[in-house]
Amino acid sequence: MLEHVLNGFYYGSILFMIASGMTIIFGVLGILNLAHGELYALGAFCAFSIVGFLAGQVAAPTGPATAIVFGLVVLAGSLAAAAVLLPVGGALEATFIRPIYDRDEVYQLLLTYGLLLVLTDVMKFVWGPSPVDVGVFSAVNEIPTTELVGFGYPSYNVLVILIGVAVFAWLAWFFDRTKTGRIVRATAINREMSTAIGVSTDRMFTLVFAIGAFFAGFGGAMVSIGPSSASLGMGLSWLVLSFVVIVIGGLGSLKGAFVGALLVGVSSRVVTPYYPQLELAVPFLLMVLVLLVRPEGLYGTWGEIQ
Amino acid sequence: MTTGPLTAAESDGIDRRTLLKTVGGSALAVALAGCTELLEDGEDSLADADVPDEPIESGLQTFTEGAPSVLGVQAQYGAETAVRRINENDGIAGREMNLDVVEEGGAYLTNYQQFVDEGKDVTFGPISSSGHAEMVPEIEAQEVINVSTDGTVTTLYEEDFPDVTYSFRFQNHDVMEALAAVMQAVEVLGSDSIDTYAGINPNYAFGQDEMDLFSRGIEALTGAEEVYSGFPDLGTGDMSTHITEVNGEAPDIVFSSCWGGDATLLLEQGHANGMFDAVDLLVGPVLYGSANDLSEDLVDGPIYSGSRNFYWGEPSTDRWSPAADLVSEVEDEYGVVPTAHFMSGYGAVTAWATAAEKAVRLLGRWPEQEELATVLENHGFFTPAGYHTIGVDHQGYSNAHFGELTWSSDHDAAALADVNVFAAKNVSPPPGETSADWIGSW
Repeated sequence: MLEHVLNGFYYGSILFMIASGMTIIFGVLGILNLAHGELYALGAFCAFSIVGFLAGQVAAPTGPATAIVFGLVVLAGSLAAAAVLLPVGGALEATFIRPIYDRDEVYQLLLTYGLLLVLTDVMKFVWGPSPVDVGVFSAVNEIPTTELVGFGYPSYNVLVILIGVAVFAWLAWFFDRTKTGRIVRATAINREMSTAIGVSTDRMFTLVFAIGAFFAGFGGAMVSIGPSSASLGMGLSWLVLSFVVIVIGGLGSLKGAFVGALLVGVSSRVVTPYYPQLELAVPFLLMVLVLLVRPEGLYGTWGEIQ
Repeated sequence: MTTGPLTAAESDGIDRRTLLKTVGGSALAVALAGCTELLEDGEDSLADADVPDEPIESGLQTFTEGAPSVLGVQAQYGAETAVRRINENDGIAGREMNLDVVEEGGAYLTNYQQFVDEGKDVTFGPISSSGHAEMVPEIEAQEVINVSTDGTVTTLYEEDFPDVTYSFRFQNHDVMEALAAVMQAVEVLGSDSIDTYAGINPNYAFGQDEMDLFSRGIEALTGAEEVYSGFPDLGTGDMSTHITEVNGEAPDIVFSSCWGGDATLLLEQGHANGMFDAVDLLVGPVLYGSANDLSEDLVDGPIYSGSRNFYWGEPSTDRWSPAADLVSEVEDEYGVVPTAHFMSGYGAVTAWATAAEKAVRLLGRWPEQEELATVLENHGFFTPAGYHTIGVDHQGYSNAHFGELTWSSDHDAAALADVNVFAAKNVSPPPGETSADWIGSW
C-alpha cells in the first residue's frame, strides 16, 4: 500500500506541475486555456532537444558524484526547456489573448483551441510526427536516492515528488511574499484599482501567462525525462485531468490545485489495483463528490490566486 | 493438437519451382514476394486482357503521428514499398498504382467514406481494432474492398461479422499471437514450472481480447492461476500501479499486449521498479512493434516478444534473400528496421494486388469489386515474410513468430533471438470453429 501511495504522490506531482500553470492563468486572467496541454507538450519536446544535448555532454552516472552531476544537468536542462515557454507564453498572450479579454468566453475557447492546433503543427514541423525520447530515464534512476525511502523505489519518482513540493513552495512564496506576486494577486482581484494605482495590467497579464506556460512546460519536461516519450497529442489527457484537478481544488487556488492533484493521484493509484475498471473514472467521481459537498471546490477563490 | 514450433526450414523453406508454381510465374507476384531474380520466362497471358489504362487509385489510413505512429508509420512504409515494387514491375496487369495516405486518428469511417467518394479502387488500414470493427458495416454498404492492415481483434470475423463480402484483414488475428505467447512461455519455462501468471494490457478491445485468449491458453496447457490483471488506459502516462501489483504477486509469467509508446513505458517502468527481478518471464506479442524506439538497456531481462507474421531475421537472412533484400531496401529508404507492422502494410497491398492480377487472368478483363472479393477468399501469396493466405472467413493466416528480445549491434536496434515459428494451424482454430471453443477443447 505504501508503494501505491508513493505512486500516487508521483502521479499527483506531475499533475500539479501542469495544473498549477492552468490555475495561475485562469485565476488571474480568467482564461480557460485549451492550449495548455500543448504548452506542456512543447516543454516535453524542448526537453528532448535541450536535455538530450546537455546529457550528452556529461558522463552517465557511475558513482555518487557523477550521479549528482548527471541529475543536476538533467534538472538544469529541464528548467532550460521550460524557460523556452516564457517568451512563447508571453508572445501568445500579447498577440492573441490580450485582444479578447472583454469578449465572451466562447472566443477564448475558440482562440485557445486554434492555438492548440497551431502549436501541434509547429511541433510536428520542428520535431516530426513520431514520438521522441530523451533517453535519460534509466540514468536518472541510477541516482541512489531510493535508499532514502528504505526500499527499492525509482529515483525518478522520488525526484518528481520532491520537485512537485518545491514548485508548490516556490509558487506559494512568490504570490505571498514577493512584491510582484502581490501585485499579480491585487490585479486579479481588482483590475481597475490596480490600474488606478499605476500597475501595468498588460505587463502583469503577460507575465502571468508566461509563468503559467513555464510550469506547463516544466511538467512536460519532467515527463519527457521520465519513462514516457514526447509525442504529438500527449497533452490532451493531461489537459482534461488538469481541469479536474483545478475544479476539485477550487478555481484559482494554488493550494487547491496542490491538494486536488495529490488527491487525484493517490486515489486513482490506490483504487486501480482493486477496482481496475475505475481507473479512468476515479478522478471524475472524486470531482463529483467534491462538487456535491463544496460546489466552489476545496479552496475555491474565483478571481484571485491564493 | 500439435503445439510445437517449427524449424525455419520447415516453415519457410521453399524451392524456386514451388515459388514459381505458387505465384503463377507472374512478374508482379514474384516481385512482391521479393524474388525478382526467380522469374525465368516472361509469360504473356495478361497481354490480351481488357484492362483500363488509368492508374489504380488506392488509399491507406494509418497512424502517421503521435504515440501510435510507432506502428502506423511502419505500415505506411510497408504499403509504399509494395506500391513502389508494383510500379517498378509494370503495375498490376499493366496498371500502375497510386497510394494516398491519411492519418487514421479517430476518423476511420470518415476516411473510408472520403476514399470511396474520391473513387478509390481499394482501401487499406486501419491499425486500430476498434476502428476496424466500426468500419466493417460501412465497407459492406459501400462495396469497395478494404484490406485491413491490422485491426486484429479475434471476435471481429468469428462472432461480430461472420459473413462479409468486401472486408478483409491481412495480419494474423489476436488468437494467433496470444497462443504463440502461450506456447513460447511453455517452451521457455516448461509447463510444470508455470503456476501463476499476470497481465498488463491496454484497456480496449484488443488488449482485453488478447488477455482473455492468453488466459484460456495458458490455463489449458499448464493449469496456471491468474494472480493479477490490469488494464491501463491506451496511451497512459503511468503504469507504476500495475507494475507494483505484479511485483507484489511475483507471478511466473507476465503477459502484455501493450504496443507503441505503452510498450516502451512498460519496459521503462518495469526496469525502474525491478519487475524483471520479480517475474520469471514477460511475454509480449507486440513489444517488438516498438523495435525502433527501444534502447539497449530496455531489452535486458527475461523478455520475449512476438513479431506477428514477420521477423526480418527469420529465417536467417543469409538463407532467405527476400527478407535480407527488404531489410536493406527499408534501411536505405527509411532508416529503420522493418517490423511486423511494416509487413502489415506491405502484405495488405500485396494480398489485393496479387488477387487482382489473378482475377484478370481468370476473367480476361479487370474484375468488378465483387469478383475481386471472391478471388481474395482463399487467396494464397508470398511476401518476404513467407507464404500467406486469406481464409474464406476473410482473415489472414501465416506463421507466427516469437523470440527473446535482444540487441543487434549490426543494425543498432532491438532484435529477436532464438525465434520460434508457429504454423498458423497450431495457433488458430480450424475454419468454422471459434477460438474460445477450440481452446476449450484442448
